[in-house]
Amino acid sequence: MNWRRIWALTKKDLMEFTKSKYVLSAVIGIPLLFAILMPLGTILPIAKANPADFEGEGLGGFIDNLFSKTIDDWASLSMHTQTLIMLAYAMFIVVLMLPIIIPAVTASETIVGEKERKTMEAILASPITETEIVFAKIISSLIPSFFATFISAAGYIILIDIMLFPFLGYLLFPDFLSIIFVLVFGPMFSIISVELMIMISTKVKSVRDSYQIGSLVVLPLIMLIGAEMFSFFFNTVLTLIIGLAVMLVIIFILFKFATNIFNREKAITKMI
Amino acid sequence: MLAVEARGLTKDYDIKKDGQRAHLRAVDNLDLAINKSEIYSLLGPNGAGKTTTTRLLTSILQPSVGGAKILGYDIVEDASTVRSNVGLLTETPALYERLTVRQNLEFIARLYDIPKEDIKPRVEELVDLFDLSDKIDLPSGSLSKGMRQKVAIARAMIHDPPVIFLDEPTASLAPESAKIVREQIMKLSKLEARTFFICTHNLFEAERLSSRVGIINHGKLIAEGSPEQLRDLRKDETMTVFRFSVWDDVIQNFFQERHYEVLEIKPERKSISIFINDIEKETPTIIEELIKQNFPMFEVRHEYPTLERIYLDLVQSENLPRNQEEESS
Ligand SMILES: Nc1ncnc2c1ncn2[C@@H]1O[C@H](COP(=O)(O)OP(=O)(O)O)[C@@H](O)[C@H]1O
Ligand SMILES: [Mg+2]
Repeated sequence: MNWRRIWALTKKDLMEFTKSKYVLSAVIGIPLLFAILMPLGTILPIAKANPADFEGEGLGGFIDNLFSKTIDDWASLSMHTQTLIMLAYAMFIVVLMLPIIIPAVTASETIVGEKERKTMEAILASPITETEIVFAKIISSLIPSFFATFISAAGYIILIDIMLFPFLGYLLFPDFLSIIFVLVFGPMFSIISVELMIMISTKVKSVRDSYQIGSLVVLPLIMLIGAEMFSFFFNTVLTLIIGLAVMLVIIFILFKFATNIFNREKAITKMI
Repeated sequence: MLAVEARGLTKDYDIKKDGQRAHLRAVDNLDLAINKSEIYSLLGPNGAGKTTTTRLLTSILQPSVGGAKILGYDIVEDASTVRSNVGLLTETPALYERLTVRQNLEFIARLYDIPKEDIKPRVEELVDLFDLSDKIDLPSGSLSKGMRQKVAIARAMIHDPPVIFLDEPTASLAPESAKIVREQIMKLSKLEARTFFICTHNLFEAERLSSRVGIINHGKLIAEGSPEQLRDLRKDETMTVFRFSVWDDVIQNFFQERHYEVLEIKPERKSISIFINDIEKETPTIIEELIKQNFPMFEVRHEYPTLERIYLDLVQSENLPRNQEEESS
């Protein structure tokens, strides 16, 4: 494994990203929408609503069960505050869609983009290995998403804390869950997303097609990250370990598929 | 040691024909022996198998049967060494159009493991050699096609490879740009001892650039040699034309008495065309006798068959044209 060559390809991809309006709008626009505008639009009206409107029956045994495990003083909170907390977590799943969606965009651009513009052959003629190409493509697709997710999550956390502090008297985020999901699960989902995009790259001819198919491919991943977060509420340590193990296995298997596609023979006959 | 040596090199593509899996033999049992610092052209019509041959010899594709060596390195066993020793101008120049000329070249330089401190001077040296210094920091997409092609050739040479493959270096260019690129290639080939392997469907390009031409059709090498040697293939089609200030029918008798085959008589042009077996030996004798007998001869010339004619003959005599629709998907 020659890291210099990997970094050369990654750096080239990143330079191209900064010149692509699709990538720029995805990396800046989607986070703005998902992490700032959507939460503001849903949570702010609730925060501003009259707390009295929320009193009455409880949120229900299931939700109470779920949250009382993570929020220590859950039972003593008002219904209004409980609703706000619930929304804050629900919208956090939206933020976590970023590490799935953004890499799909960046991977389409760099992998299908090379195919569409026929630039791959010059790379394949060089001594870079297939594994190095896949590694580089994963890293370059990952970097914009990692930063965008990190900044959006930070923005989201600050936003939520500003809105919820008056009710809670303490900061809801960052908690263990948000840190683990932003720093560990997020990047792992990104890798899977890129690997899937590499696999569909042999089937599509243009970056546009790739975006379309990609948007279907990321759906199950979004469901998976939602499920992962949901189960996390129930049994912190065990689900965390099982979740991580499952993800690692998926990443590894998909990596094998992806390097197989970048086998020069296939890449040249299917991708050029 | 040979720069390029191929033995029975063969490539089959898997294709779908009428919904069935099938093979398409793109390169068929190719034998090549190209010396160091030779400029070799592989000449053939579209779909003849030139690009496939190049991709095999640059270790991008693997042969189905047979093999090849570049500077003694096996294209399969020593693929990585082969890749470091060859440069490839791909059929489509395909630069990163949003990146500058410099960024394009520096990127490829890193893929070839050129030491960090050598990259900048190497890029500048090449850009200078290709007369592109004032364009170095412009996005490559903003350059003309001819200039982009020059950048692509520079890219193929970034690691100073001893063997350079140029796949259709001028096919996509307007005549003026093609001329510039051709001149550049000639300049390069004179500069240093390097082996060039040029794929082209342009006969005049092959003739002008290279010392040896291989003609490929349907994946098979059907003729090979220097342009002169190829012309010699049809030596028997050389016609010798004599012209006279005054035409006289006895001229015809003169040749017939000496048992020369008369091919054409044009009284209005006062010329007669004949076939001479051994041009070098017999022509001086004929001239001598004609002058001795006071025939007012003022011109004698040999009309060799053109390379173009030979090429077209060779390619067309090879059964019917093949279906060109089976392009890669
Ligand atoms: N990836 C591929 N899959 C199937 N057939 C191919 C592929 N690439 C080329 N061919 C076929 O192989 C033959 C030779 O093609 P090619 O080497 O590109 O010829 P040339 O470069 O001389 O035009 C053609 O019939 C072409 O259609
Ligand atoms: Mg070709």
